[in-house]
Amino acid sequence: MTAAPIVQIRALTKIFLQGEINVTALDSIDLSIESGEFLTLMGPSGSGKSTLLHIIAGIDRPTRGECIVQDRNIAALNESDLADWRNQNVGFVFQTFNLIPVLTAYENVELPLLLTQLSGKERRHLVTTALEMVGLDDRMKHLPKQLSGGQEQRVAIARALVTDPKLVVADEPTGNLDSHSANEVLDILRTLSRDAGKTVIMVTHDPKAAAYGSRTIHLEKGELVPN
Amino acid sequence: MTIPGFIVKNALRNKRRAALCVLSVAASLFLLVSLLVVLNEFTNPPEDVGASLRIAVRNKVSLATPLPVRQRPLIAKIPGVEAITALSFFGGKYKGEENTMFAQFAMDPEQLELVFGEAKLPREQLEAWIANRTSCIIGVDTAKRYNVKIGDKFQLIGQIYPVDLDLTVVGIYKGTTDDRNVFFHQKLLDELTGDLGQVGMWWIKARSPEEVPGVIDRINAAFTNTSAEVLAETERAFQLSFVSMWANIKVLISSICSVVVFALILVSASTMSMAIRERMRELSVLKALGFRRHELFAFILAESFGLAAVGFLLGAGGAWLLYSSVNAPTLTGGMFPTLDVTPRILAFSALVAAVLGVVSSLAPALAVTRMSVVDGLKTLD
Amino acid sequence: MFSLFKYHLRSVLVRWRSTLATILGLALVIAVFILVQSLAAGIEKSSSNTGDPRNLLVTRQGALAETTSVITRDQFNIIRYLPGVARDATNQPIASGDVLIIINLPRNNGTGNANVMVRGIAPTGRALRPQASLVEGRWFAPGKREAVASRRLAGRMANLQVGQTFKTGGVELTVVGIFDGQRSAFDSELWIDADEARSAFDRPDYSSLLLRPESDEALLQLKKHLEGERRLKVKAVREVDYYKEQTRTAGPIKWLGNGLAIVMSIGALFAAMNTLYASVGARTREIGTLRVLGFRRRSILLGFLLEGAMLSGIGGILGCLLALPMHGYSTGTLGWETFTEVVFDFQITPLLAAKGIAFAIIVGLIGSFLPALRAARLPVISSLKAA
Ligand SMILES: Nc1ncnc2c1ncn2[C@@H]1O[C@H](COP(=O)(O)OP(=O)(O)O)[C@@H](O)[C@H]1O
Ligand SMILES: [Mg+2]
Repeated sequence: MTAAPIVQIRALTKIFLQGEINVTALDSIDLSIESGEFLTLMGPSGSGKSTLLHIIAGIDRPTRGECIVQDRNIAALNESDLADWRNQNVGFVFQTFNLIPVLTAYENVELPLLLTQLSGKERRHLVTTALEMVGLDDRMKHLPKQLSGGQEQRVAIARALVTDPKLVVADEPTGNLDSHSANEVLDILRTLSRDAGKTVIMVTHDPKAAAYGSRTIHLEKGELVPN
Repeated sequence: MTIPGFIVKNALRNKRRAALCVLSVAASLFLLVSLLVVLNEFTNPPEDVGASLRIAVRNKVSLATPLPVRQRPLIAKIPGVEAITALSFFGGKYKGEENTMFAQFAMDPEQLELVFGEAKLPREQLEAWIANRTSCIIGVDTAKRYNVKIGDKFQLIGQIYPVDLDLTVVGIYKGTTDDRNVFFHQKLLDELTGDLGQVGMWWIKARSPEEVPGVIDRINAAFTNTSAEVLAETERAFQLSFVSMWANIKVLISSICSVVVFALILVSASTMSMAIRERMRELSVLKALGFRRHELFAFILAESFGLAAVGFLLGAGGAWLLYSSVNAPTLTGGMFPTLDVTPRILAFSALVAAVLGVVSSLAPALAVTRMSVVDGLKTLD
Repeated sequence: MFSLFKYHLRSVLVRWRSTLATILGLALVIAVFILVQSLAAGIEKSSSNTGDPRNLLVTRQGALAETTSVITRDQFNIIRYLPGVARDATNQPIASGDVLIIINLPRNNGTGNANVMVRGIAPTGRALRPQASLVEGRWFAPGKREAVASRRLAGRMANLQVGQTFKTGGVELTVVGIFDGQRSAFDSELWIDADEARSAFDRPDYSSLLLRPESDEALLQLKKHLEGERRLKVKAVREVDYYKEQTRTAGPIKWLGNGLAIVMSIGALFAAMNTLYASVGARTREIGTLRVLGFRRRSILLGFLLEGAMLSGIGGILGCLLALPMHGYSTGTLGWETFTEVVFDFQITPLLAAKGIAFAIIVGLIGSFLPALRAARLPVISSLKAA
């Protein structure tokens, strides 16, 4: 794997304006992530982990510096291009699952595919494959409220995978789960990077969860802490 | 912070929501008041000052069938009759107009003061009218609407009668309930139509209110079994018989009113209770703090009443302001001389608003009764 | 887009209580709109449904309607012997002088009196108006004080059933038959013998004259000739055209219907906006998620507009259904041209229903625009954090 790193971050700074005062959430971060890595991001609450993840995933923009993902400076994309880019290149997994309550597991996973030109048959194939991958092909017709937390999170992972993105980002995906379900979810994420060649970036508080990753970095007050 | 202050703050927490609630109530109440005003104009034509003494006499067949002139001396002789004038509805078009909304009548000018005493017309104008056979007097509203002054020509194209009138305005009157009408000489109409010996109606003034029923009976009896049987009735009864021809319009408007009220209650109640449901969390916090159930009811009721009351002030008050400031004949194309927002109409719409306040607090109040503190705190999580 | 539609549909169903109230409210608005407009449509239909295009109707110049027209006996005789008027088997011109009288009769439901149009008509006149067909009893006999009422009129006024008598002025008339005008203007009329009418109501002249020209060219020529003839002072129009013009009554009703619909829909609009704002507010997080998944602002905006249009479309359809039972229901009102009671049906035409639904959808689109814009403008991150 000698190709260029999939994510290259240079001098990345993010400043939030909270009323009158500026909060520096990220302070001149440099970081590069290789394709196929399972990177875990640790740090105390408020240290800027989510902010960094949001910028990499293209749902927030840096104040200064650049973030190049797959040779593209995503900060330079406009709103709609960014939306398309997210759809094709990133899968996002939330701490609180964020499934659409009125849609079944199957439909939730199918949702990102509605933005593609795929035929109904192709879609069905992709959705089923994604659900099989997370071991929930028997729960397709269930609504989120009929699933356990771990199952919901697995549906969310399937949703993140269904468009076959190179990059999967997860913000404390196990934060709301019991340890058994957490291990299932972490197993899936590890398999993704190891066997499917995906790059996985995961924020976590839990050292045991971080141990699943191939590399761990620490953030503190918006700065990377050298190991 | 006071309790009322708390309620107001709560109600305004979502300002857009509160504004939309108030506006939807206001729009519906505005419509309700407007409909009731129109309905009232249909059912209760305004009463003239001299009305209690006046008797209208028409052909029993219908208003469209004329009466023979020979009846005049016979009626004049009937005891209790003080004055009598012919009154023929000309029904012409004002020159150049498609729809003329003011009425024109031929009458006997000498009788104007005696029969329609409330019409205020300067003496010299009245004398000028009596003296000039081709002259007319017009109501002040018509004079204003068409910008007609004394000395101007006034042309009317006949539709019921096959003649056109070329009149000169010699007087402008005011003081009647409908200051739009135009009056000219019955003699002129007779002359132009070739002296057919017919008039549209007789209008009579009785000597005293007590004599009115007797006079009516005597007039009706005087012409039974003649070729022109008549129907004499009080001015009020005559106007109401006109109104009764609109019976279906009345039914139509009243049923629309009920649908409007129903739709209003339905929609506004649902939005308002939605506004309150949003506050379930606060309400359960209050409950946790030790507020009792009936105090919470009071909060809910106060809030929905407040919203309904502001809506009422905007809608009904707006209608009242609008209708008392606009010129009714202009607005309605001359259909109604006045648009009165009567106290009864205001009271009724206030009642509707109050019912609305109660109905829309029902659902949230019920929910509060059922809600446990823990559930309430979870509602919005 | 189909599944996104499904998403909005289901979301709407989740908040069914306020959704239902909004839909019902809008449905009532549309029902009122359609009902009032269907009155106007009914009047127009009965007008446009009357007469025979081959007939020519002659009235006095300047007269607004047959009731205020006068055709003298002299005029009658001049006109009917003009060349171009068709002749019957006995070589008599096919022309009929009618006498129209307005009489005041009590309604049968006790709501007072109404003016009713009486048409004094000769046998030729009846033959020229085949739309009015006898359904009960018999036609009146010449020289007898007998009348035949339209079925719809008999249903509204007192004493107009076969065998009953009514008095007007000094005249007593017996009803001997009932005719059906097949939803034409004749449905508002009471017919008696023309000569009887003239003697009973003391009318030396006719009101109008209906004649049958030999051909369509003859009709046009007769019309030109009659209206060019200064001394006659008459107006000649095709019978169908005359009735098509008699729709002034429909004007104010349409005006009322539009005015009502506009004010009512403003009220409904605010309510719908409230419902949709609440819906957007409650779904903030879902909207954020959709955006993270790559949905553009435009799709979110469209989705919510679609939701508004869907809700209001359902409201519109429901409104049509609510109004539908009134279709064909016979009613009457004071006609403006003749000042008599005109009887007609509520007519809910497909066009009217479509207009109602379109109106509802427009209200829904307007009402959902601001909430939809708000949904589309929600910043992704803060909406993800929303409770
Ligand atoms: N939208 C925002 N507006 C203002 N400040 C923010 C915003 N998002 C995050 N922050 C601030 O940025 C810092 C980093 O936040 P975050 O990345 O969420 O931390 P973490 O995920 O590590 O707990 C915190 O101090 C937080 O208060
Ligand atoms: Mg975080």
